[in-house]
Amino acid sequence: MKIEGTQKIGAPRDRIFAALVDPAILQKCIPGCEQMEKTGDNQYKAKLTAGVGPVKGIFTATISLQEIVAPEHYKLVVEGKGQPGFVKGSGELNLRDDGGATEIQYTGDVNVGGLIASVGQRMIQATANMLTGRFFKVLEAETISNNPASSTGT
Amino acid sequence: MIPANFDYIAAKSLDEAISLLAKHKDDAKILAGGHSLLPAMKLRLMQPKVLIDLGRIRDLSYIKEEGGQIRIGAMTTHFQIEISDVLRRSCPLLPETAGHLGDMQVRNKGTVGGSLAHSDPAADWPAAILALDAEIIAASAKGDRVIKATDFFVEMLTTSLEPGEILREIRIPAAKGKAAQAYVKVRHPASGFAVVGVAVNLSINGGKCQSAAIGITGVSPKAYRASKVESALKGNALDAKTLSAACAHAADGVDVNSDLYASAEYRKQLATVYTRRAIETATARVK
Repeated sequence: MKIEGTQKIGAPRDRIFAALVDPAILQKCIPGCEQMEKTGDNQYKAKLTAGVGPVKGIFTATISLQEIVAPEHYKLVVEGKGQPGFVKGSGELNLRDDGGATEIQYTGDVNVGGLIASVGQRMIQATANMLTGRFFKVLEAETISNNPASSTGT
Repeated sequence: MIPANFDYIAAKSLDEAISLLAKHKDDAKILAGGHSLLPAMKLRLMQPKVLIDLGRIRDLSYIKEEGGQIRIGAMTTHFQIEISDVLRRSCPLLPETAGHLGDMQVRNKGTVGGSLAHSDPAADWPAAILALDAEIIAASAKGDRVIKATDFFVEMLTTSLEPGEILREIRIPAAKGKAAQAYVKVRHPASGFAVVGVAVNLSINGGKCQSAAIGITGVSPKAYRASKVESALKGNALDAKTLSAACAHAADGVDVNSDLYASAEYRKQLATVYTRRAIETATARVK
């Protein structure tokens, strides 16, 4: 399954990039991420409660940030496993300076398997789009906020 | 295929159900017909600790005309709506929609309130409820709250019902004059859900469309009103030219679903074609 799109956020590129590689902010942005623990350089282990409405599953995931070229590019690789199935995917983010604002162009490929894939197939794409939307909404709130501390993590 | 452990409480009245829900909060789920909830529990995609069953509350199941409205109790089954003489006479869109829903077992046991509260993105009811400008009545300890159909569906499997609220009744405004209604659907061959489902509710006077309300389900993560199609119909004669121009906007402004059965592009095309068919079917009925 492909996830792609562009998102414009009215904050400088440096600040957005710093937020995107900051585990404390990533944890807030990733929907349902309850815990994120550093396991190595740009490697994290996370606990996620992901789902839609009342239908939710608990996943443990490894998240790694690769090909980091500050402040314009990186690749996010996620592998998650849980009772309802598994999720495996990677996405590339490209940040473009747009006169004080930033355009984030993202493209990813996600595989979903197990129970959720067999019974929830018709809702997977829409769920992925919805969760992506939430990710950027929180990222926007975190980076546009006037409090500079929010971009350094608390 | 065995659910996780849960407690089961059969509420004897709506008030009791409301206070049970207030007590157990997020741990509880309301059980109506159970035709979405129980499969999800068996797959352990939902694991409520407590089920509060509304099935024993008799006065939640009714269809009546009152105060210029049709009022339908939340626990009314799809089948009761399908065979209702009152509805066939005064709001045929509802029985027609019910007839398209699931299979015989689902229609016999599943309820209109349960389906709406579950808010599956491909359920049939949301299309009809939107096209009829219905109101949803949510009951809680604070009393009744009236929610417009257009405000009810928030996103996939999510409605504007607040924690502690129970969907109690659906109210449909009585039609002014003779309404041209129809529900047409592309049925998913395995699930029976709508790949695309279009409900239209038009009033036609002197060959011209006076008002148009079109609800579309299955196309996007939540059912929606095709407002661009509606405005392109209003005030016009419903000839081929008007219809093809109007229906091209059937999926405007929404994220179109894509799955193994139907790509986004195909769904969008289906929305256009089936919106047109729904309008043609509805208008043919009042000729």
